[in-house]
Amino acid sequence: MVQLDLSEDQVLLHDTTVRFIEAELPIGQTRLLHDDPNGYDRGWLQKAAGLGWFAMLVPEADGGGCMSGDGLADAAIIAEELGRHLQPGPFVPMNVVAAAVAAHGSAAARADLLPELVAGETVATWALSAMDGSVDDGAGVGFDGSALTGSRGYVQDVASADVMLVSAERDGEPVQVLVPTAADGIELVPLDSLDRSRRFAHVHLDRVQVDADAVLGGGAAGLEAALLTAVVLNLADTVGAIDRLFEMTVAYAKDRVAFGRPIGSFQAIKHILADQALYLETCRAGAAAAAKAVSAGDERASEVVSMTAAYIGDVANDIAQECLQVHGGIGYTWEHDLHLFLRRVRSNAAVYGEPSWHRERVCTWYGLGEER
Amino acid sequence: MHVVRAGGGALSDEDLGRYRAELRAWISRNLPPRPPGADLRAAHDITPERLREERGKQRALHAAGYVGITVPEEYGGQGLTQEHQRVWLEESSAFAVPAPGGIASHVTLGIVLPTLLVHASEDQKRRWIPRILSGEEIWVQLLSEPGAGSDLAGLLTRATRDGDAWVLNGTKVWSSGAMAADFGICLARTDWDAPKHRGLTWFKVPLHDPQVTVRPIREINGSAEFCEEFLDDVTVGPDMVIGEVGGGWPIANHMLAVERGAGAAQSAGMATRERTLAPDLVALAKARGLERNTATRQLIAKAHINDYMQAELTQRVGGAIAVGKADPTSASLIKLGIGVRDPLRAALAMEIGGRAAIAWPAAARDGSAAAINFLNGRIYSIAGGSNQIQRNIISERLLGMPREPSTDSDKPFREVLRDAQRWGAREPRDS
Repeated sequence: MVQLDLSEDQVLLHDTTVRFIEAELPIGQTRLLHDDPNGYDRGWLQKAAGLGWFAMLVPEADGGGCMSGDGLADAAIIAEELGRHLQPGPFVPMNVVAAAVAAHGSAAARADLLPELVAGETVATWALSAMDGSVDDGAGVGFDGSALTGSRGYVQDVASADVMLVSAERDGEPVQVLVPTAADGIELVPLDSLDRSRRFAHVHLDRVQVDADAVLGGGAAGLEAALLTAVVLNLADTVGAIDRLFEMTVAYAKDRVAFGRPIGSFQAIKHILADQALYLETCRAGAAAAAKAVSAGDERASEVVSMTAAYIGDVANDIAQECLQVHGGIGYTWEHDLHLFLRRVRSNAAVYGEPSWHRERVCTWYGLGEER
Repeated sequence: MHVVRAGGGALSDEDLGRYRAELRAWISRNLPPRPPGADLRAAHDITPERLREERGKQRALHAAGYVGITVPEEYGGQGLTQEHQRVWLEESSAFAVPAPGGIASHVTLGIVLPTLLVHASEDQKRRWIPRILSGEEIWVQLLSEPGAGSDLAGLLTRATRDGDAWVLNGTKVWSSGAMAADFGICLARTDWDAPKHRGLTWFKVPLHDPQVTVRPIREINGSAEFCEEFLDDVTVGPDMVIGEVGGGWPIANHMLAVERGAGAAQSAGMATRERTLAPDLVALAKARGLERNTATRQLIAKAHINDYMQAELTQRVGGAIAVGKADPTSASLIKLGIGVRDPLRAALAMEIGGRAAIAWPAAARDGSAAAINFLNGRIYSIAGGSNQIQRNIISERLLGMPREPSTDSDKPFREVLRDAQRWGAREPRDS
């Protein structure tokens, strides 16, 4: 578990989440959705919404609410279980959109959209990246006050979404705009993906008309806040996934016999596992601290989140690879679940900034190289 | 908000605030600022005059109540809480706190003292601990031997009964700062017919005894922090036995756990996030004009993140151990973390430094610091239980992996030695 000090309410939230997942969509069944065009079932998503999956970052006045008073911590508890159980669907982007609308949306957007997002009746996603996959402060889409033109790349689950929050640029400043995915002038280019529990597509916008209520305030700070929320939840998802994969690997090392002994009795295997235990515990420590920094409004939150994203982005993949090594041949088979975790973890390391991008952000945060 | 006081009563933030204010005032009047880069003096830098002078300073610090803050009053301490200790650490970190024996003083207060508090007799604690706190007695560990490092329980130093007394013979090594120390806490074999872990006993050994020879060992970085000691018929009385005769191994395990976590709880309190971007590496990059270079920036960020993550790990695991939420064995995670991250950081610094880290003008600190750290990078991968030992502990005790089949733990130690001689001569197995 990433967070060490769960309140009673949070323990309840955790247990309810696990029970729901095990009853509705255990890992074995997630495979059945791999060739589904949407990757998940809308009815399932609405049931999940009933447990508060999309309510945690929305104030009670807007129809949301969380368990502990710290909505991000609560959402991270859910995200960790989604990773652990390889759950599909746009949990992270939907929560980012809900939080952004709650914080910076017009009165109309809050009144119309938030209750529907919280109830899972409307599905939302976040169009953040440039076509080359980088996070670009909106430069790839121009907004003139009434229409959006440009492209966003690698947008998660956009084909099944009803609305997307597009990061764009207006007069050189970042701005975020809500756009119905069915609006005129939108073209989707679906992509094949490494992680089959998510769908990605490029989105081209050609003079897509939006009204004033669709424009969010907040500017660059709002975009940064949305990014921090996304990264924190994404990290929780990653840690949940490697946590489960590591558990499976430890169990396998105790069961599998070679040379007349369980392979876990050989130091060659023990030492691999001990190293991964260290890296995993460090990931847990980092993910918990990052969530805390963002919730608390720590002035260093951006730095802390990027340090953690860079670290976990690299290390979670290393852990997954070593788990494959310990499993040997069986881990390379399609029927074994190992590759599903490998795919999920590596995909997560790219969606909200590669480790090297986050490392550069850390240097920039400190102003390295700016003087002279 | 209240924290629980060790004695039971509640300690308010206000009490702690008052304590902090008094302490801060005392420090500002009595301690000079800590000179940069001079926290652990090498043993060969400690002259007799300096030792005497620094002992006087520790005596004054103890008299003021700032040594042994959590130690019970009957042993010369203050009987205060970990919270008070934490306040002291925070407030004193920028000042030159007296450490007469250099690293040996840190060993005395950080490792030997907590071990004695648990395992020494009541009489020993009343006699020894006040002298330790006041700086009169500096102790080191006499633990490893030339033939026993990772396999500590295989040690060969012997203690033989002579009437009431014990006579010790053997060689100890890697005792940090022993040149400046007065006593050693020494693990020796007292029973050669018992299995290796059950024939060991702890002794207090006077290092100024004429039968003891202490010699510094020159290390790869050129300095001499570590020492070796030769015990040649050193006689000690029965009151110098610590714990039960034959009961040394559990105490050794406890001591190593203390050393590993460096009191994990304490280090968690001290592990604050670096407030600056790896200053040594930024200075190195700037000296070469590389602070805008993309590759260099990536390396700097990697090292900075490496430091940050280790601090977060320490805080999490150390904190969990402190409140009883984690097995104390988890301290091995902190130790292994240092053991793998130090060499990584040293390598990053060498790459950032490039040629400036292999040759430098005599006055340039940055390059030479990177080079020294490169040479020192593996200290904590080896000392206090090597990375490989930590990995065994983590995998067997935390992850529950089956233990390595043992060839030596269940037979008399004499036979272990005999069978080891024959190991290479064994018949090759049929293929």
